[in-house]
Amino acid sequence: MRPGPSHPHGLRARRPRPRPRRGRSAHLIAFLSAIAAGLAGSCASGDGRAIAADLVAGEPSDLSVTIYRAPGRVGGGSIDLDALGGFALISETRSISLPAGESRVRFEGVADGIIAQSALVTGLPGRVVEKNRDAELLTPASLLAAALGAPVELLRTDAKTGRTERIAGVIRSDADGGVVFETSEGVEALRCSGLPEAFAFSSATTLKARPTLSVSVETAEPASAVVTLSYLSTNFDWAADYVGKLSPDGGKLALGAWVTLANGNGAGFPAARSQIVAGRVNHDNNDVEPVTYSGPILARCWPRGSTSDIPPTAYLTERMFKKSQDRALALVTPLAAAAGIQEVAVTALRVTQEQLGDLKLYRVPERTTIASRQSKQVRLLDRSGIPVQRLYGAELDADTDVDALAATMFLRTKNDAQHHLGLPLPSGHIAVFVPRGSAELLVSEAPMRDLAQGEELEIPLGTSPDVQVTAILQRRGATGASGADRRRIMIRNAHAEPIAFELRLQLTAGEQIVQSDHRLESKDGRPLFRLQVPAHATATLTYQLLHGHTS
Amino acid sequence: MRLLLWSVLGAGILIAGAAVAGTGADRDLAVTIYGEDLALIQDQREIDLAAGRQRIEFADVSAQIRPETASLSARDIRIVEQNFDFDLLTPAKLMEKAVGHVVTIVRVNPATGAETREQAEVLAANGGVILKIGERIEVLRDDGLPVRVIFDKVPDNLRARPTLSVTLETSHAGKRGATLSYLTPGLGWHADYVALYDAAAGKIDVQGWITLTNTSGTTYTEARTLLVAGTPSQVDSPAQTYNQWRPPVRRGNLEAAGTETGTRERLGDFYLYPLPERTTIANQQTKQVSFLDVHGVPAEHAYEFRNAWLASVTPAQSAKSVYRFSTSAHAGLGDQLPAGVLRFYLHDQRGEPQFIGEDRIEHTPMGSTLSLVTGDAFDVKIKAVVAKRTRKAERDWQTDMRYEFTNASPAPVIVTLLQTGLWGDARIVAQSQPSLRRSADVAEWAVSVPANGQSQVTASFETQY
Repeated sequence: MRPGPSHPHGLRARRPRPRPRRGRSAHLIAFLSAIAAGLAGSCASGDGRAIAADLVAGEPSDLSVTIYRAPGRVGGGSIDLDALGGFALISETRSISLPAGESRVRFEGVADGIIAQSALVTGLPGRVVEKNRDAELLTPASLLAAALGAPVELLRTDAKTGRTERIAGVIRSDADGGVVFETSEGVEALRCSGLPEAFAFSSATTLKARPTLSVSVETAEPASAVVTLSYLSTNFDWAADYVGKLSPDGGKLALGAWVTLANGNGAGFPAARSQIVAGRVNHDNNDVEPVTYSGPILARCWPRGSTSDIPPTAYLTERMFKKSQDRALALVTPLAAAAGIQEVAVTALRVTQEQLGDLKLYRVPERTTIASRQSKQVRLLDRSGIPVQRLYGAELDADTDVDALAATMFLRTKNDAQHHLGLPLPSGHIAVFVPRGSAELLVSEAPMRDLAQGEELEIPLGTSPDVQVTAILQRRGATGASGADRRRIMIRNAHAEPIAFELRLQLTAGEQIVQSDHRLESKDGRPLFRLQVPAHATATLTYQLLHGHTS
Repeated sequence: MRLLLWSVLGAGILIAGAAVAGTGADRDLAVTIYGEDLALIQDQREIDLAAGRQRIEFADVSAQIRPETASLSARDIRIVEQNFDFDLLTPAKLMEKAVGHVVTIVRVNPATGAETREQAEVLAANGGVILKIGERIEVLRDDGLPVRVIFDKVPDNLRARPTLSVTLETSHAGKRGATLSYLTPGLGWHADYVALYDAAAGKIDVQGWITLTNTSGTTYTEARTLLVAGTPSQVDSPAQTYNQWRPPVRRGNLEAAGTETGTRERLGDFYLYPLPERTTIANQQTKQVSFLDVHGVPAEHAYEFRNAWLASVTPAQSAKSVYRFSTSAHAGLGDQLPAGVLRFYLHDQRGEPQFIGEDRIEHTPMGSTLSLVTGDAFDVKIKAVVAKRTRKAERDWQTDMRYEFTNASPAPVIVTLLQTGLWGDARIVAQSQPSLRRSADVAEWAVSVPANGQSQVTASFETQY
């Protein structure tokens, strides 16, 4: 199967003749964009394969978007709307009807962050020959590059009369941002003469306006089918944002959470079934093949100094450069300019949770539109009356003196039904508020890790200067195996209420606490003392520390 | 003279006296792609030679061609020299090369539109263009008025793109087939796998796709394409110094390398994957062709936790979710797997496939056992605790470890606990359940954790330090 001439640039095209045509005015400014728009609709088949039909799959009839968080952002934290590090699985259903033979089906409007190698098409009636994703886009610069060596028309408009002259020619070079063309008169450079000049290209191009995924299918007989295209796409993310409100007495917490999901792609997903997945999934940094926007056309010229620009100071040169760019050069900005996320929408839907293997899948109960460059919030949970314990604590080396250390504060509860929780809590970010009269005061913002049912939840609230910890060596032990240091810890409470305090100690290898005047507990293999410190009082704790064998 | 030049350039077959090798229907391209960023192009074209010495230009070769690897072969030719011209044709270069030569300048009167033509000699093009017109000297466009500059021809070795040319000699004129072969970066391939796991049956369906990417700047039309799995040895060449990123060393996922031989074509130790049909590899294109489609392969789902040293890990961390299967012809995929990424999917409660994670595999022989990590298990967590560390003697320590397992899922699980960093001198003196010493460095326990429950393993290690 070897069809005929297939070179897209048509080097063997018949030779063009100079055809000066006069008398028709043309709007040069609209010229390039008009050509581009006209071509976008009439993309020809790119290669020489004998394709029976080149068709565009219908618009998606059913869309599903499942968003995964950025794998590196495990410990919580917020998402950066300008650089979304997560990804999404997008499934869309489209209808196609195929003639017999080999056809190419094009899927348009897929997300620009598509990871092409993850694309799957199911439900096709025939054999899949190949899948392609073309990232070379139709831009003024790529149009120019494609026309290299091929006949084009040069349009030159008389500024005075408005008459446009059309001159046949060949583009000889577009290297380094400069354009050189050749006509029957000789070789010239574009936009160096000071005359309004532009090219009109022939209308055959295989370049596409958007990155496009296509599938070549072979069927024995004509068939209609509903196909599902699913693929992974970058530039999505989601985060869980918890808001805790403490009751006035500080004993109960009302916990609410939003799921914030964001789409940084240029493509929107109307009326989509939306899911998010919690838990860490392995995801390689799948490189998305870069889309080539080919850069701007600069139409650089030869040196253009004049007798009036001497001596050129740095300031002048820069200004002149800018000016000449503005005026004389067709500076075409690529489409790539990714605007920030524009819109923030808040909905009152509550997600439902189900198990997906070892992950947690949350489903937005109604279809929702995930527009391009949009972040959206849906309700994750609302729980109230969660009993919390307010604690102060400190972590110290067992054998180090401390003059004064402000204690840390935290709230503790357990993720179980008794504590009005008992549901998986995906990692994210938590803000805690306390009431102050009719208003609320933010007291803490902290990251949250993934919490399974039954795990302990500790929310740090910062440090308290009103609770200070001092550690001293009271008496050095005798040298040798049995000599134990006597150490004293003092906790001073400036609050008007008694507080609960937890002291955690860090032992170095071989060290051991042999005696203490408070009950010694152990948590995660480390010594722990629990103390009650009365209002405006000091609690004292002493313990004896054995260093073990010493040499 | 101009008319002659025009007709020549319109047909596009001759530039500056050099023949351009044809790119028409008689062209036959073969592309062999090795790994991620290297390809061998064999470009067969019909060339029409005159007798004697001449220069042939090759258009439409890879824009990233490594010219030092190019070689041309044809019947009855002798290669004189091979050139790679990379002086690019720009307006500035055009003007520079015109210094000392005569150009035509056309002035257009902005008020009347009247044209005046003059011959001018370019004296200099440094920072501005200085012209000698008759006896006067002018700076080009000093007055800001439109002036067209027309050059007679494009200088000989200026090109729009870097161009390969070959000067050769032949004793008799005529058409003949010629093959140009060269290496180029910018073309690469890898495999992509889709695995759909059926949790109830404990089976996976695996599809394999060959993914080919072309960023070489050139389109290869109707090429016979061959993909080579395996890595040919290469010395670093300038074109290869970037793009050499390798993924960091990670947990090995090849549990047991296979010893079976597949039915695929081989060349030495390389596996060959010829594409069944000619295909056009467009510039900036990602192309996928199916090569594997297997259903109902037994697979098991497991959990794994690795504690790197006899140290505490708190708060609790998730176990890794592991999927294990074979590439054997018996109860396996029955094929060797070229390197790539394997993506796992699982049906959700509405029966729709959802992505649950991926892992990268290296070239894997047939008959191997693979254990791939898809991510963390949300509900299965492990806390490792140093319960006690005591000094028994001068250089003799005992470390009592406690591993606490929790399972918040409604199904019982078995977690493979790996305690690494044992160095060979760590002796297990007591343990709550028997272990398997995988190596001097690694001890392994299989720990069952009941549904919505917890369990615990303790072990005491004696180490010399």
